[in-house]
Amino acid sequence: MIDLAPKRLVFSSIVALFFLVLAIKLFQLQIHQRQEYFRHSESNRIRRFVLHPDRGLIFDRNCTILVDNSPAYTLYATPYETLGNDSTMERLSQIIGVDTKVLKAELSKAESPFSAVRIRRNIDYATLVSIEEWKLSLPGVFYEIEPKRIYPSPVRAPHLFGYLGEVARAELKSERYAGLRPGDLVGKAGLERLYDQRLRGHLGYDFVEVDALGREVRDIVMDGEIAQVRGEDLHLSLDVRLQAFAEELFVQKRGGLALVDARNGEILALCSKPDYDLDLFSDGISIEEWRHLITADDKPLYDRMVKSSYPPGSTFKLVLAAAALQDGVISPNSRVHCPGFYRLGSRSFSCWNEAGHGTLDLLGAIRESCNTYFYALSLKVDVDRWAEMARKFRFGQPTGIDIPGEAAGLVPDRVYLDKTYGKGGWTRGQMLNLGIGQGDLLTTPLQMAQFAMILGNRGICHQPHLLRAVYRPAEGDTLWIRPQSESLEGISPETLEVLTEGMVQVVNAEGGTGRASAVPGIEVAGKTGTAQNPHGESHAWFIGFAPYERPQVAICVFVENGGGGGGVAAPIAARILRRYFDLYPRQARQKNE
Amino acid sequence: MGLFDRKKIDWYFFAMVLLILVFSCLAVYSSTSSSQSLPMRENFNKQLIWIAIGLMLMVLITFVPTRWYRELCYIGYAGLIVSLILLDLIGGSAGSANRWFELGSIKFQPSEFMKPMLVLTLARYLSNDDLDPNRFRTLLTVFGLALLPFALVIKQPDLGTALAFLVVTLPMLYWRGLKPIAIFIIVSPFLTFIASFNFWTFFFSILLISSMLFFSGKSAPVFWSVFFLNILVGILAPQIWSELHPYQQNRILTFLGLVSDPQGAGYQIIQSKVAIGSGGLLGKGFLQGTQTQLRFLPAQHTDFIFSVLAEEWGFVGSLIVLAVFFAFLWRGIGIAAASNDRFGSLSVAGLVTLFAFQVVVNIGMTVGIMPVTGLPLPFISYGGSSMITSLIMAGLIANVSMRRYHYYR
Repeated sequence: MIDLAPKRLVFSSIVALFFLVLAIKLFQLQIHQRQEYFRHSESNRIRRFVLHPDRGLIFDRNCTILVDNSPAYTLYATPYETLGNDSTMERLSQIIGVDTKVLKAELSKAESPFSAVRIRRNIDYATLVSIEEWKLSLPGVFYEIEPKRIYPSPVRAPHLFGYLGEVARAELKSERYAGLRPGDLVGKAGLERLYDQRLRGHLGYDFVEVDALGREVRDIVMDGEIAQVRGEDLHLSLDVRLQAFAEELFVQKRGGLALVDARNGEILALCSKPDYDLDLFSDGISIEEWRHLITADDKPLYDRMVKSSYPPGSTFKLVLAAAALQDGVISPNSRVHCPGFYRLGSRSFSCWNEAGHGTLDLLGAIRESCNTYFYALSLKVDVDRWAEMARKFRFGQPTGIDIPGEAAGLVPDRVYLDKTYGKGGWTRGQMLNLGIGQGDLLTTPLQMAQFAMILGNRGICHQPHLLRAVYRPAEGDTLWIRPQSESLEGISPETLEVLTEGMVQVVNAEGGTGRASAVPGIEVAGKTGTAQNPHGESHAWFIGFAPYERPQVAICVFVENGGGGGGVAAPIAARILRRYFDLYPRQARQKNE
Repeated sequence: MGLFDRKKIDWYFFAMVLLILVFSCLAVYSSTSSSQSLPMRENFNKQLIWIAIGLMLMVLITFVPTRWYRELCYIGYAGLIVSLILLDLIGGSAGSANRWFELGSIKFQPSEFMKPMLVLTLARYLSNDDLDPNRFRTLLTVFGLALLPFALVIKQPDLGTALAFLVVTLPMLYWRGLKPIAIFIIVSPFLTFIASFNFWTFFFSILLISSMLFFSGKSAPVFWSVFFLNILVGILAPQIWSELHPYQQNRILTFLGLVSDPQGAGYQIIQSKVAIGSGGLLGKGFLQGTQTQLRFLPAQHTDFIFSVLAEEWGFVGSLIVLAVFFAFLWRGIGIAAASNDRFGSLSVAGLVTLFAFQVVVNIGMTVGIMPVTGLPLPFISYGGSSMITSLIMAGLIANVSMRRYHYYR
């Protein structure tokens, strides 16, 4: 036998060499880089959980909850554990009824294989039970409680409340959405959007020791843990009873009404119909439902009261009258004969009453809404003077109500007309139309309600607003919102007195166009409007305030393509006003009055 | 000379085995006891049963006359080859890999038992007195015997075990007297294979091989055939690479640091290194390893069991495990060198090579310097086939050790 000793040495040396390499590598990992790996292992096991605060609630003026939270279950999956596991994927797709390919595509979009992907929001109870039942064969699948919005009151008001949606990726960079993560819900429209930062509250953080599947092993206390702070509550000026009643009045109608507290600008009711169901959004709207909403003929997503503007029709005759009175062009006693039409050169402009109103003074012209009288008047008032008066009454600019996306409307003046039709390209005929609230003039129904409030207050404007107070849980206090009020300059009390006297007659005097808006025991003042438009039937308008002497409320009723203001809009106004005075009895006159 | 000559029982060797088994119990208990799944927690008891069965087999094998193995190994080799072919034809279980036969509740993994069987077969073939280890025919036979199971096992696919069959051949040939230059010639195509992915490394490896051959005074036919073989390998290697299983390619690339794959093999290595590194000098303590107890460590009771020991027992514990393994191997090499029986000596040399290969590859994998091949750590990893095979192999070494002064021919 040959001597094996040298071979033994070679053999042992090779093994020793390999073991030495291992030992050196172990030294490097366990001694040299120990700190680094220890940190890794700590961050591996300690996970920061984001605590979602409850979103603030929305109340009406009497503390009735309008918008509330309800627990909903959101399903998550971790791609690292689920993507490669075919049996898990199959089970999951079977439970939630989604094709595995779709699921895989969703999971593949994750930023990191270890970050959980939101599979479905608001899963139903049966799905939840199935998930629990199959828990052991669904590693990496879990659910979290994530509140959804519910609307417990009879009030729908989707245009006011707005809805929530996932924050857009582009928005995440802005300060407004600091601290949010992709997929978090934020207000997308209405009050939810405008007051999102108040309603949202502050995220909290909790540190928890987890295992490799992300399952909580135990709660540990660490620096940097913060409790979440629930969002601030909004207390609105809305009255749930009036709002619900207003919404009832507009069932199967297009249009809406605004009821404003004339003493401070608080919105008591503001409805726009048709509207949509906010539950669609809080349950997670499907693409088909969304497509249906945006393509529907009656445009339910459209806020007709705040975001749309229309020709105001005869209601705007008051502005022309104010301009004429203020400039001394006419006196209240100036008379015009109405034969049922007005002739300008070779053209004939008809009055709505083809039989003619006979001879009328200004009050009579307002009362009976005589076109002929205002045709004649419009030629006596310069268009810029008229536009200036319209702007004094806050037309052509947003009212500043706390709803995002308010429309400004349009008050044409000489510059505008020159630009649109060319210098000299517009005629005096256009002036006649503007004078009776037609033509290029556009106002929002909310502006019209504000106009009625200004008239009722004899020149004092309170900015219309929905938010009365904010309850701040972090500070434990209530922040009251002060109304912004302003006395309008350049409109004399005498002028306003003529206009309001005319409005009283519209509702209460023989021959008045707005008699259908009368409320027993209350002196209502108003003005009707029937605005012709190229889109079909005329728009029906009614604006007004009550009681005449010391107004408590101002109102605007608008029915899109509804027909005559006096016949369609005024009766609706009567019903809501009667309801208002049932709930809020007329204030006693002061002794010295 | 008696079968039960207690004075010659290798108590030192057995003590090493038992010590390593204690490490196994600590590590398997730690890595399974905190699991939320009942089958996983039961694995510790199963492991104890495997150890018990394995130890009985080890003792039994120690006392069976060595020549029995010599007589029976060819039949055993043929039987296992047949079962590997059957496994390939009818398919087994356990995911996509066909590694196991299932006989009721017992899983039987032929490739594990093939490891010692191949060693015995090669030892029997090489122990022939008339054999010249430097003949081409000898090499051809040895590689043929190894390549047959290699081909069958790499198809399963089990790269680690398949490589073990190849790795065992050269040390056994060397032990039998193969010249180092011949070993270099045999290894050269593998160097070329690795070097062939870049033109310049390929060029220099061919230059190195040529000069080595030239200065060793090999004849022209040998020189040119080896030269052209290497050129051929260099050209074909990229094609062979594309034939590899994507997961094998991925593991090799990840290992080489060419791709980062935080989801697959890369993730396992990262978590393993975090476990080992965070253990520090003295470790986090038994059952205190966060990577292990919170199950960040993948395959922690099987392939990555060393990471569990390293996390909980630290650098000191790791070194103790390495030291005991080294002492075990050292003893094995000593037995191989001391044995008067050529079959026994060659067998032990092959078995020690197998153990050393598995230990280095497995621990190397956990510290991130070897690819993830799925080779278990002998005696320590959880698993019936692995545990029983390791103890059978230990029994074979002890068998030779007990008879190291015997002459059979």
